[in-house]
Amino acid sequence: MQPAVDSAASEDRDVVELLRSEGRERAFALLLPRYERKVFRLCCALLRDPTQAQDTAQESLVRIWKGLPGYDGRASLSSWIYTITRNRCLSAIERRRARAPVNDSEAELESQIAPGTESHQSEDASAILRELIDLLPERYRRTLTLFYFEDRSVGEVARQLGSPEGTIKTTLFRARAALAQLMQQRGLDDPRLWLEGHA
Amino acid sequence: MSPQMNDGDPAVNAAPAAALDAALDSALTRVLPSPELPADFRAGVLAAIARDAQSEALNPATRARLEREQREHLREFEAGYLQLRRRTLGTLIGGAFAAGTVVALALPWLRATVGPHTPLVLASAGAAIGLAIGISTWLGRSGLPPLQRF
Repeated sequence: MQPAVDSAASEDRDVVELLRSEGRERAFALLLPRYERKVFRLCCALLRDPTQAQDTAQESLVRIWKGLPGYDGRASLSSWIYTITRNRCLSAIERRRARAPVNDSEAELESQIAPGTESHQSEDASAILRELIDLLPERYRRTLTLFYFEDRSVGEVARQLGSPEGTIKTTLFRARAALAQLMQQRGLDDPRLWLEGHA
Repeated sequence: MSPQMNDGDPAVNAAPAAALDAALDSALTRVLPSPELPADFRAGVLAAIARDAQSEALNPATRARLEREQREHLREFEAGYLQLRRRTLGTLIGGAFAAGTVVALALPWLRATVGPHTPLVLASAGAAIGLAIGISTWLGRSGLPPLQRF
């Protein structure tokens, strides 16, 4: 884990130096193109709602801009940015829960793809896979989602979720195992079903 | 992650778990593509920052004005309180002197009218008036209806 953190810190040294020498505006101008996509993807993985993810990502970046003069360099810049983003996402999730306490649709999804339903035969394999991913526990789902959003970079996922790389690898392994089990339970564990030609 | 496997790969039959893992990896790559940043995203961020900077620039001026107003109000309040205390003290001293003068001037006439117990009657009357004022004041402070309504 350490090398990934070090490399992230060295990547952002220019931003930190610019922040100290020329102030917030110049530093943010360098930071924004570097992090806007990552912040947005993190919000998408955590919130599962593109509109809310966009709003929360923008809100996070405004927070980052406001907090930039107070950034003391104790944590790497990326960790600091992702911590702010995760906190904004948690607030957004809290707000969403307060508005619609029984809106989370795991049960709904489960009923939609209950074992033995004939819809499996006719539905698109990708749609089924998305539904199965939604059935995973939240921690597995967001790690797996972010892993593929970030071009399978364990180090980047670890930084974004603020966890050690070892934990991310274990979570990914368990998430895939849980997914395979779900597929097996539904008789969808034939590899041919998941190859591109069949999707 | 394992590389994607072809349909005809012998590993599909030889190691089903590994084959499923590889097929799943390729399917997940297709199903979970990186979301595209909305076209207006950066413009939205910069607009929000501009709004925030504007309100940040206004805030110190507003804060300074409010603080100045508050200081003025406090000064006025303190000046009013001091004035009230001075006025009350002046009224008390003036009232005491006036009462003394009235008593000194009226004493010969009172002695002739009331008799030898004039000092006792005057003291009792003064105490009664004082008590009535005191009770009325405390009733007023406690929120009870004034005496004249009973």
